[in-house]
Amino acid sequence: MISRRLTLLGALAMVGVSTLTLPALAEPVKLTIWGLDGDNGLIPALAKEFDDKNDDVVVEFRAIAFDELVNEALKAFATNQAPDIICLDNPDFALFSSRGAMLDITDRVAKSDVIKTDLYYAGPLASAMWDGKLYGVPKATNTIALFYNKDLFAKAGIAEPPTTWDQLLEDARKLNDPANNVYGITWSARANEEGTFQFLPWIQMGGGSFKEVNTAGAIKALETWKTMLDEKLASQDVLSQGQWDSTGTFNAGNAAMAISGPWELGRMATDAKFDWGVALLPTETEGGARSSAMGDFNWGIFASTKHPDESFRAIEYFVSQSERLFPEFSNIPPRGDIPLPSTGDAKKDAALAVFQEQLKYAQPRGPHPEWQKISKAIYDAVQAAMTGQMSPKDALDQAQATIKGIVG
Amino acid sequence: MTRIFRSVRDGIGFDILLIGAALLFLVAFAGVPLIYNVLMSFQQVDMFNLGTFMRPLVGFANYAAVVAQPEFWMVARNTLLFVVGSIGGQFVLGFGLALFFARGFPGAATIRGLFLVSWVMPGLVVGAIWGWILAGDFGVLNYLLKSLGIIQSNIFWKSDPNFSIWAVIIANIWLGLAFNMLLLSVGLHGIPRELYEAARVDGANTWQRFWFITLPMMRSTIGAVLSLGLIATLQQFDLFPAITEGGPANSSMVSQYWAWQASFKLYDFAKGATISVMMLVLVLIASVIYVRSTRHEVRG
Repeated sequence: MISRRLTLLGALAMVGVSTLTLPALAEPVKLTIWGLDGDNGLIPALAKEFDDKNDDVVVEFRAIAFDELVNEALKAFATNQAPDIICLDNPDFALFSSRGAMLDITDRVAKSDVIKTDLYYAGPLASAMWDGKLYGVPKATNTIALFYNKDLFAKAGIAEPPTTWDQLLEDARKLNDPANNVYGITWSARANEEGTFQFLPWIQMGGGSFKEVNTAGAIKALETWKTMLDEKLASQDVLSQGQWDSTGTFNAGNAAMAISGPWELGRMATDAKFDWGVALLPTETEGGARSSAMGDFNWGIFASTKHPDESFRAIEYFVSQSERLFPEFSNIPPRGDIPLPSTGDAKKDAALAVFQEQLKYAQPRGPHPEWQKISKAIYDAVQAAMTGQMSPKDALDQAQATIKGIVG
Repeated sequence: MTRIFRSVRDGIGFDILLIGAALLFLVAFAGVPLIYNVLMSFQQVDMFNLGTFMRPLVGFANYAAVVAQPEFWMVARNTLLFVVGSIGGQFVLGFGLALFFARGFPGAATIRGLFLVSWVMPGLVVGAIWGWILAGDFGVLNYLLKSLGIIQSNIFWKSDPNFSIWAVIIANIWLGLAFNMLLLSVGLHGIPRELYEAARVDGANTWQRFWFITLPMMRSTIGAVLSLGLIATLQQFDLFPAITEGGPANSSMVSQYWAWQASFKLYDFAKGATISVMMLVLVLIASVIYVRSTRHEVRG
């Protein structure tokens, strides 16, 4: 009798267990993740791993080209078809977070054992925040610094890379060698986000910010840029070339200095047939305020998701793999606590150390929901001044008027 | 009932059916997007109402905002320059080539066919190739011009505000040349030989034959080529991202690229729609002028 009752209980327990577990096995939660194509396959690789490691989740990844990412996300959001998770370029993030399109993850992160905000660099973290709340987690980060051709420096009798704007200009004059097709310097003052990416640090070093672009220091910065172009210390093509093409001329030995980021290191290590190094961006005056640009993407969860818990778990998984970002995907972790392993190339290792130092001063673009319009005001001013349409002061005053109309 | 049925099968009902199908197609694939675009230019659009149809109306505020942009007049000037320069270059060179091949030397037809290669190529590819040709420091064109002693120092076609719009115009002339030549060749082919023979008997010289026979007989072809050219030029988009991106300092910014930039780079969809409506009005005016100018044409 007792045994029979036990069997019955056992059977009941079995039924109970199966009803509890079966639905979870039968219909796993579907998470859609949208991210950039390329980028050394980082996002699809991590998304697939999360899928494989979690039986209760099925991940659907969609790769989108850089130029289409925000448009696709806007369209999807407007038609209620937004993905659960998206990886957005950091200046575009506020467009979504400021309007409540992204899930507020402040409390979840505070409780998380994996994501610790105090480990992150200030710049990348600020780009994921809006109004004191956290809406995303930086995926990786990058910045810009000054590359210089040590062989050409030795030939021109310059011992150290420049540390101030005046020195930079002076060195560019010494290094400029039109007879041998060598420009003193190259960078990008292109009429798009790249131009702003390169000039905003100079505004910030000159005591300004994206909200205040016509400070005396910022005007001096633009005058320095204009002088370098007017004296033909740089190719006129800095107005139309992106950073990648512009640094290509440095690698070919046609420019003695270049301002660009760590994404150049791989190509430079093989292409540049000379000794090169990286220095922090020169400041306005000796020991003056430092700044630099801040690039790369942020993870975020759309507020419309039906699976916030699983989505957050996915982001926790991605963050837990931070040690692999650099060795496997050439992404620099957005936090200072992860040592970058040696690449086996002394020049690259030295360069990375400089970039990690420079990252401490990197500041986000914005965050502001109408960042692209602010950015256009800045690169339009740079272009207007450098082509001589306006004086640097007038150009930046006009930009300031436009920006004031946007930020209020 | 049978009467209606019979009418649909054979009669006025069938005609209405055909007209209806054509109209339905037009309304669905041209009318609705057009009206949607015009409507959008009078509305306030942001990411929350992007997917809806009825949005807050703002009157002509978007139009005022577009005109108030500091680059508005420069864009207008550039667009005009791009249209006139491209069509002028394509037409004159295309006509010249068409006349050249009309002489009918051995292999003329084959070589004329090969010219179409430029027209078949996608704009982005053409843009990339011209981007290299027009490059500043190491461009092919600068090398040629310097070797010939025409210029002393490099011209920065893509980065000099005095040349940037011309860089795109040159590429666009090359791109549209073959199409112009082909249409004009067809037109030339349609002129009866006897007219020229009669004129020669009457003692007309080459110039007179061109001016008094070729041009008048080509009137409708030329009208078609020019109006198609206007449409194609205002639709030409691919060359801009590939060559100058509208820069430097908006010196090669034209309205079609500007509209795209407003909508898809600055996410200001209303402004993008407004610019395209303004373009549409311009094209409509041009079309009316074209239709009126060809109304009294002599049918050959």
